[in-house]
Amino acid sequence: MVTSVTNFSRSGLYDWMAQRVSAVVLAAYTLFLLGYVLANPNMDYAQWDALFAQSWMRIFSLLTLVALGAHAWVGMWTITTDYLTPMTLGKWAGGVRFLAQSFCGVLMFVLFVWGIQILWGI
Amino acid sequence: MYGLDKSLTSEQGFAEVKQFMTNPLVKFVVWGLISALLYHLVAGIRHLIMDLGIGGELDAAKLGAKAVLVLSAVLTLIVGVWIW
Repeated sequence: MVTSVTNFSRSGLYDWMAQRVSAVVLAAYTLFLLGYVLANPNMDYAQWDALFAQSWMRIFSLLTLVALGAHAWVGMWTITTDYLTPMTLGKWAGGVRFLAQSFCGVLMFVLFVWGIQILWGI
Repeated sequence: MYGLDKSLTSEQGFAEVKQFMTNPLVKFVVWGLISALLYHLVAGIRHLIMDLGIGGELDAAKLGAKAVLVLSAVLTLIVGVWIW
């Protein structure tokens, strides 16, 4: 049995909920941004800049980035613990899985900080 | 993220990103990425509906799975038309 030391919250039930709540946030942002770009076919820089200059858009964007991190962590944790196991990789599985999960974690953190820089650096 | 950064930093950056998007290969890759995202989105919504206890019976589940594939294919086509 895989011990739940690397999952998001040490609780499968909470992970289950986090995955779904973050999914709703991601869906809302995706539909909003796609809809906005679709509704404004010949968008110029001023309009694009004005959209991201508003506080609610920056907060919505950062919330989405946090949701992306949580969502991706639960998803990648599920995949790595399903497939990077001693059964598929032999005795190095623990190390490989640790490296893969570390990479995911670092990537999410980098995207989060980078996102803050972009959103509040305008 | 790089594109967002560049497009928001300056007017020139925005124009560069816009120009980059006119490349056919870039369009194709963007089409692929958006299609994958929309498929994930449609399938995810089905997953949430089934979490609510709707459509879990064998017949309904089969129908739902087909609906996800059809809807995603239609959306993929629409996105393709939109990009080109």
